[in-house]
Parts: sequence; structure tokens; C-alpha cells
Amino acid sequence: MRKYIILIVLLILAIIGYNYIYQEHRNIEAEPPEFTLSSESLFNQFVENASDSEKKYLNKTIEVSGVITELDKSNLVLNEKVFCQFQNLNNKNISKSITIKIKGRFIGYDELLEEVKLDQCVILNH
Amino acid sequence: MKHLIYIAFLFLSVNIFSQSKYLTKTGTVGFEASVPSFEEVKASNNSVTAIINTDNGEFAALVLVKGFRFKNALMEEHFNENYAESDTYPKAAFKGKIEDFQLASLSNTNMSFKISGELSFHGKTKQFHNLDVEISKENDVINLMGSFKTLASYFDIKIPKIVKNKIAEDIQVFYDFKLKKK
Repeated sequence: MRKYIILIVLLILAIIGYNYIYQEHRNIEAEPPEFTLSSESLFNQFVENASDSEKKYLNKTIEVSGVITELDKSNLVLNEKVFCQFQNLNNKNISKSITIKIKGRFIGYDELLEEVKLDQCVILNH
Repeated sequence: MKHLIYIAFLFLSVNIFSQSKYLTKTGTVGFEASVPSFEEVKASNNSVTAIINTDNGEFAALVLVKGFRFKNALMEEHFNENYAESDTYPKAAFKGKIEDFQLASLSNTNMSFKISGELSFHGKTKQFHNLDVEISKENDVINLMGSFKTLASYFDIKIPKIVKNKIAEDIQVFYDFKLKKK
């Protein structure tokens, strides 16, 4: 009997260990946003204080709305200030100069081009 | 006399605007520190900004460290928390110059150039000299790619004893930029 208990405990530990080591990636699409704001108000915070704003948003899921000013195969730019990277933007039926709302993960402020960067973005509505 | 000054200014401003820059916001930078027969330690970042000034070969790249993606989510978490400390050091940057760069000499086949400059990461800056870089140009896109070796210790990154046999101390860094004319 004891043998079986030890065996079961070991098995459970192994499963827990495996699930810990091979845990899944964050799913930004399923996460509720911690901040919801317009691309202008997001960007303006970086004009005021880039390093504090970066700390505030770093690695957070945020929801941003704005007008598309640049559009490419897997990325778009809102109001020339917020760069959003997607897995894929084909067949999404969007075009320049329309207003759109997206959700993504904030990865940092690019001071070379003065843009805010988000990755793992999804389109919420347009 | 006044006219002359105006004309001089006009030329000056024309000169500033003619400075040609090529850039990308979706460049790739990756690294690998794998040890054979252990799980691969490899990540890549597909949202790197890079700019080249084609008048003088000056090149700059900015990597947002949080943008490095690993296959293994736990490895990604450890990389961010314990090795790169990306909350404290969210950026890595390279600034340098390509020797003898001439836009007109580029073609659609790879040409080898040398690039020197400084790489900053994890709060440390390290000089690199004469790294090989392959450059080609097709239509209005300059393709710049290459790889180089560096050491974790150059950037003050300590690999704990317990995983020392699973993570290589010398790290292969690779990059690929498709820069478009601005």
C-alpha cells in the first residue's frame, strides 16, 4: 500500500514539475487591459517623462485607440506615434486613416523614432 | 549681401534634407546560448528599430529587451527577471559605423563590409571592432545581416552555477534588417 502512495506522490510531483517548466506563454488576447487610453494621451505621457512612463507601462497589457497612419503586413502605426505589432494582419479588412481599437503588450519607448511600441497586438474593433 | 545669406541658408537646408536615411521598425535581432543535448537557449526579437545614414555609413539600432521571445515561457521569464533584468534595463542599443560604405556600390548580391561600434545592454557598454556584415540592396530596400560572438560576462550577466552546463557563456548574436528609404 505504501509503495503505491509513494508512487502516486512522485507522479503528481512530476506532473507539477513538468507543468511548471513547460508552462504556457502569456495570452495577451485573453488578458483584461490594465490601462485603456487613446494613442495621443499615451504618447503625451512619454513626451512629459519618458522613463517614468516606461516603468508604468512596461510589460503591461493596454488597450489603445487611434487612427491608422501606417499599415504593413504585420504591423501598423496609430497617429504616427504608437507602433503595434501583430502576428498577421492579412484579411483584416482595415485601411489607413480609419479609427481602430487594439490591445497589446507594451514593450518600450523607442527614442530613435519617438514611438511607443506594442507587440502581440489584436484588433478589438473598427 | 542679404540675398547671399538667404541663398547660403537655402543650400544648407537642402543639404540637411538630402541626408538620406533608410530605416526599419521590424528588424530582427536574436541570440543563442545553447549547449548541445540540452534544451535550446534561443530568443529573437522582431520589433527592432534600425537606421542607417547612407551618406556616411552611420548605423544605429534599438532593441526593446521585453520583445525577446523564447519558445519556453519559463525561460523567457527567467531571462527577463534574472539575466537581462529588463525592468531595470529595458533597452539595448548599438551605435556604430560601416567602413567604406557607399550606397552606389550596393547590388542585389551580398557584399561584405566591416562595422565597428558600441553595444550597450544590461547597463554595460562594450566596443566591437570590424565585425563582418553582409549588405545587399534590392529596389529601395537595403538588407543588412550578420552575426557575431560575445560573452555574457562582457555585460555583467552572471550565469548561476546550477545551470552553468546548460547555458553557454559565449553567445551567438544574429541580426537581419530590411531598411526602407525614408
